[in-house]
Amino acid sequence: MDKVKKMITSPKVSVAAFVLAVGLLLFSSIGGARAALTYYSENYSTRVEMFDIGVTLQENGKSLSWRNYDTNASDGTWDESAGRLLSTMLPKGEDLKIGAKYTEELDVRNSGTINQYVRVNIYKYWVDADGNKLRNLSPDLIKLNLVNLKKDWILDEEASTPERTVLYYSKLLESGTVTPLFADSLIIDEMVATKVTQTRTEENGYTTITTTYDYDGVSFCVEAKVDAVQEHNAEDAIWSAWGRRVAVKNNVLKLK
Amino acid sequence: MKKNTMILAALAVALTLTAGVGSAWAYFTTYAEARGSYTLDLGDKTTVSENFSDWTKHVSIASDADSEPVYIRVKAFCGSEYNLVYSDTTGKWTPGEDGYYYYSDIVKGGESTDILDIKIENVPEGMEDASSFNVVVIYESTPVRYREDGTPYADWSAKLNSSRVEGGV
Repeated sequence: MDKVKKMITSPKVSVAAFVLAVGLLLFSSIGGARAALTYYSENYSTRVEMFDIGVTLQENGKSLSWRNYDTNASDGTWDESAGRLLSTMLPKGEDLKIGAKYTEELDVRNSGTINQYVRVNIYKYWVDADGNKLRNLSPDLIKLNLVNLKKDWILDEEASTPERTVLYYSKLLESGTVTPLFADSLIIDEMVATKVTQTRTEENGYTTITTTYDYDGVSFCVEAKVDAVQEHNAEDAIWSAWGRRVAVKNNVLKLK
Repeated sequence: MKKNTMILAALAVALTLTAGVGSAWAYFTTYAEARGSYTLDLGDKTTVSENFSDWTKHVSIASDADSEPVYIRVKAFCGSEYNLVYSDTTGKWTPGEDGYYYYSDIVKGGESTDILDIKIENVPEGMEDASSFNVVVIYESTPVRYREDGTPYADWSAKLNSSRVEGGV
C-alpha cells in the first residue's frame, strides 16, 4: 500500500498525469467530431444538419439585402448582398410627388437554417449634394409609416431619436419564415415646400429680399439595418451582440 | 517539487474549466442593410408674355426649364368704363368665382400655357391710340401639391414659412 501511495505522490507520476490531462483535453473534441462523422456517414450520409445563420431584408416582398453564412462554400464564407432601398418606388420617368404616399413595404426573412431573434435600425436624414448630413433639416418630414407596432414590433424608445428608430421583433423568427411588415409606406411631408430662408441685400438704396427653399437640391435618405442573433441563450447573446437587456420567455422577447 | 506539482494540477483544472468558455462567448449573429435616397427639386420661375392686337391682349405664361411643376391663374384689370372678355381656343382657361382665370393643366418646367385672349370692349369709336388704355394683367403660380393618393391639387392660400432672415443691415 505504501508503495502505491509513494508512486502516486511521486513527481514523475504527477507530471505524467498532467500531460495525460492536457492530451485528453485536446483530443476530447476531436474524438467527438470523429464519432459524429462516423455515425452519420454510416446511416445518414446525405443528411447533414447545418447551423447557418442568415437574414434577409425584404422590400415589397422581394429580397433586397442579405447576409447568410454558407458552410457549403469551399471556404465557409458569407453569401451577402446589399441592395438599394427605394429604387423601385417611383414609376420610370416620374418625378417624386411631394405629399403623395408611396408603397414601401419592409419586412425580414430568416434566410438561415437556425431560428433567430431580429431587430431593425432605421435611419432617416437629409444630405447635401456632397453627401454631407444636414442636421438642421428635419428627419420628421421623411414619413416612413411604421406598422404592427406593439403587437409584433417593439419600439425601443430609449434608443430611438428623431433620426434613428430601433425596433425589436417580439417573437422568435423561425428558419425560412418572414416577419409581419414593420413599414408599409413613405410620404415626404409637403412642409418641405414651405420652409424657406430669406436673404436681405441692400444696394443703391433698394432692399432686395431673396427667398430660397431650404429643402431645394437636398436628398432625403432612408437606411434600414437588420440584426439577427441566435435563438440559443438569446438573452445573453442579445446583451453581448447588441448591448440591450431583454427578457425572453416562451419565445417572446420583451425589453427590460 | 511538491509545490510545482500543485501548480501543474491547478493549471490542468483551470484548462479544463475554461475549455467551454470559447463556445459560450461566440454567438451566431448576422445583419443585412440597405440605403436609398432621392433629391428634391423645389422652386419655380415663370414669365408672362403679352401681345396686343385688335384691342385684344394675348397672354401666355412660360415656366423655366428647371422649375418644378406649377398651376397658374390670371386676372386683368381696367377702368370701369370698359369691359374685358376672356376667351381661348383650347378650353383650358376657366373662370373662378374670385375673378381669376385658372389654367387647368399642370405646367411643367420648360412648358407654356396656351394663349388666353383678353378683349377690351366698349372702346370709343375713333380711338386708335392703345397706349391710352391701362389694362393690367397679373398672374400667379403655385407649386403642384399632391394628396396621399397622388391626386394633384393647387393650394393658392399656401404660405411660406421663413424662420430665418440672413444678411441685411
